[in-house]
Amino acid sequence: MNNTMLYRMIAPFIKGGGSRSGRGILRDHEIPPRPPLSKGEIQRTLIQFFMLLLIACASMSYAQTPHLPANLQWQTNDSDPIFADPNAKRGGRFRSFMTSFPPTLRLVGPDSNSGFVSYLRQNNLGLVSAHPNTLNPIPELATHWAFDADGKTVYFKLDPDARWSDGVPVTADDYLFALEFMRSKYIVAPWYNNYYTEIITDVIKYDDYTIAVREATAKPSNELLFDVAINPVPRHFHKLDEHWVEDYNWRIEPNTGPYQVDSIRKGKYVEFKRKADWWGNDKKYFQYRFNPDYIRIKVIRDINIAYNYFSKGELDSFPLIMPRLWYKKAQGEPYEKGYIGKIKFYNDTPQPPQGMYLNEDDPLLADRNVRYALGYAMNFDKVLKTVLRGDYERLQKQNEGYGDYSNRDIHPRPYDLDQADKYLRAAGWNERGPDGIRVKNGQRLSLRISYTNEDHTARLAVLKEDAAKAGIELTLQLLDATTSYKQTMEKKYQIAWMAWAGGGIAPVYWEFYHSDNAHKPQTNNITNTDNKAMDKKIIAYREATTKADRVRLAHELEQMAYDEGAFIPGYKVPYTREAFWRWMKLPPAHATRTSDQIFDPMGSTGGLLWIDEEEKDAVQKARILGTPYPPINILDETWRQKP
Amino acid sequence: MRWFRIDPLTRRRWARFRKLRRGYWSAVILGSLILLSVFAELLANNRALLVHYQGRWFFPTYGDVLPGTTFGLDYAYETNYKALQKQFAADSATGTWVIMPPVPYSPYENDLAANEFPPLPPSFERQHYFGTDTSGRDVFARLLYGFRTAIAFSLVLLMFEYLIGVAVGSSMGFFGGLFDLSFQRIIEVWSNTPTLYIIMIVASITPPSFWKLVLIMAAFGWTSMTWYMRTAAYRESARDYVLAARAIGAGNTRIVFRHILPNTISTIVTFIPFSVAGGITALSALDYLGFGLPPPTPSWGELLKQGTDNLESLWIVTSVVVAMTLILTLVTFVGEAIREAFDPKVRLHYE
Repeated sequence: MNNTMLYRMIAPFIKGGGSRSGRGILRDHEIPPRPPLSKGEIQRTLIQFFMLLLIACASMSYAQTPHLPANLQWQTNDSDPIFADPNAKRGGRFRSFMTSFPPTLRLVGPDSNSGFVSYLRQNNLGLVSAHPNTLNPIPELATHWAFDADGKTVYFKLDPDARWSDGVPVTADDYLFALEFMRSKYIVAPWYNNYYTEIITDVIKYDDYTIAVREATAKPSNELLFDVAINPVPRHFHKLDEHWVEDYNWRIEPNTGPYQVDSIRKGKYVEFKRKADWWGNDKKYFQYRFNPDYIRIKVIRDINIAYNYFSKGELDSFPLIMPRLWYKKAQGEPYEKGYIGKIKFYNDTPQPPQGMYLNEDDPLLADRNVRYALGYAMNFDKVLKTVLRGDYERLQKQNEGYGDYSNRDIHPRPYDLDQADKYLRAAGWNERGPDGIRVKNGQRLSLRISYTNEDHTARLAVLKEDAAKAGIELTLQLLDATTSYKQTMEKKYQIAWMAWAGGGIAPVYWEFYHSDNAHKPQTNNITNTDNKAMDKKIIAYREATTKADRVRLAHELEQMAYDEGAFIPGYKVPYTREAFWRWMKLPPAHATRTSDQIFDPMGSTGGLLWIDEEEKDAVQKARILGTPYPPINILDETWRQKP
Repeated sequence: MRWFRIDPLTRRRWARFRKLRRGYWSAVILGSLILLSVFAELLANNRALLVHYQGRWFFPTYGDVLPGTTFGLDYAYETNYKALQKQFAADSATGTWVIMPPVPYSPYENDLAANEFPPLPPSFERQHYFGTDTSGRDVFARLLYGFRTAIAFSLVLLMFEYLIGVAVGSSMGFFGGLFDLSFQRIIEVWSNTPTLYIIMIVASITPPSFWKLVLIMAAFGWTSMTWYMRTAAYRESARDYVLAARAIGAGNTRIVFRHILPNTISTIVTFIPFSVAGGITALSALDYLGFGLPPPTPSWGELLKQGTDNLESLWIVTSVVVAMTLILTLVTFVGEAIREAFDPKVRLHYE
């Protein structure tokens, strides 16, 4: 079996990416590939880099150690409630799976976007993180933070307890090195090169445990703080040269999180071990978390086989988001006898914008009327009610789940053949050919829709059939993930069925809609939207510094995006659901507002679970004897958003 | 055309074949199944066979889409004949009626309704005799059209493979020498290319289509035939009648195609059924792995994949496994019978 094939198979199952890793195409809960740079961006990056160099040289001549501004308002957060359970028990081995073996253990550089890498990223802490329920900042590697009056700079007091896994203290130098590292051409990671040049412009050391991080543009303080909460890179571990990518492929990098890679059998599994004397053990928001001693992630290349492993008790939990698995697979004796439980948990996070992206540079789709008609010709309602069993919900717009920033007045175009007909007539598609598909000047209204997940064929088949009623032919093009990504990034597609990864606090518009990014490959404006009025508003949004302004502009931009008609919203899954063995325990709240996985052993929302070894023995015995327990069926709607 | 003149030998072979009851009846069944699948549109289709409306007759099965307005309905897309049938049945007075095919579903049609979730089990009432698949499409219709695709694929593939294989093989046997030697080496190398990987690579770059798959598979599949043809041609070219033909001035092309080839026809014919079976399984395997024909083309491999992924919906996997076993068994029986009927030991006497 080749790699591309595996890639397609893992698509729906692997975990979401790191929060600060930028945006890429998300294929049904897949890890986001990082968007490469355009030529213009590279030029700008270089210019900026030399400017920085110049400034750095100039400033070095007279100021060796910079001074902290006076009267900084240091803030911290130790007042939010903890979200872990004080009754949690340490110990045991949590067993999970992945569908392919990671191609590298590096965090950046080529091939570092496999699903597995998120386990590594989750153990690579940042300066601060967001409290998963209140969304307020909470300390991670920094204990305090303070904002500069310029709206671009944040000062951090580092936690002197913080240690790399090899015992070396985490100091200001590791953050200075992070900047150097992420800007290095040796890591072959253009997205990071760009982010740490264009967005993060400077890191300043005041002493070993005080730093400042500066961003290019002023922003509201809550957005700014999470933007600049960078991760340190262990200076004592890396030797940057042209061999870095190969040399560090399989080396285990020291990290700051609770787990470290302990053993690897290539092609078989990776096992993490809990650090016994982890520096964060007694920190408020880390307490009672990260309970299993070992976490073993086994390679099981087929989802159905993985499920068999789970049902035999070889895995501890299993994701069941897909209706097919939830309704058909997760049934039967172990569920009825309560050996295995089911949980459905509603969360409240930015929704990946899943749906159809229309390429405006395509001759057929250049006509706004055709795009509108397509919006009216997609019977998502039927897909949701039938193939998806009413389990998913219709996504309303591209940026949903951003709280105040989301414009609640925007709803997708419904399935309406009269409207579709009206717009198609306006575009000159009046006649139907012998097969019922509209024709204009001898050309058929046939559009190619590219997608990557075989399991989505059923959904698209329904859309295709009902679109034919409007006189539009959709041809389904199932591609493997890499090819599709390439084709989309080169903008050689007509309709792309996909989702972006990302999230954050506020929606971003520049990379998706600004004309600077249109009509050229390798930018995220894949729809080639080129609208001067929108450009102006996007720049205004970027430059606005108060939340009220940004919210207003975001609402207006969302309306303009709707009027552009280049995105047809698909569906959203505002919950997660899993099956788990009875010995797996969770806090009373089960998970957090922003959890995208319930039995998540690591990460900023994870580590809440623990294993009850006594109950494990008891359940194993009961299975042999056939003794039943009361069944477990948990539905948690604490964070459900009322439509 | 000498090939089509029924000589006594062929007649004798045919008689022998008819005497092998199992093979003969398998051939009859297989032939009629293929014939049926050619007219699949009349058996499983969402278009009506016959509509009688306002004194006019309509045969919608073949031909252009008839928009709903044709029958006084209020939409411009293709008529929903199942709904029309019900509607006409309700006002029976006017003498309008619709005759639907035995299975009134096309292989692409999703029969979905709210609150019931595919796959649906077999139901005579709803005329889903084999149930529906995960998209709510009729399994029987998918099987039937899938069979047509598979058999067409394997026949076209066979034609291409044999065309190249026979031509190259008999030239190798006939000319011998350096030509033979060099081609032997080329074929050895060529036949070691992993076809499946090539197809996977191609499928990951461009979406595969019927003809693309045929061409790739033929490009790598013709080699096996060359060895048999080489041997046969090698043997035949040493016989007296070839010498005689050459003596009266026949050219190489004429000797190969007019004299040697007809005498090696039994080699070719005996291989055909097994190649057909191979073609069907190859296409199904590719579809199963997701590298075959693009969705939503009806195909056995895709059904098999659905079936194994949804073992709890047993009707999907059962239908396709039974159908596949049946067809492959029939083909094998035919193949065996042909081999026996063409067996040279029965008619040749060496002295």
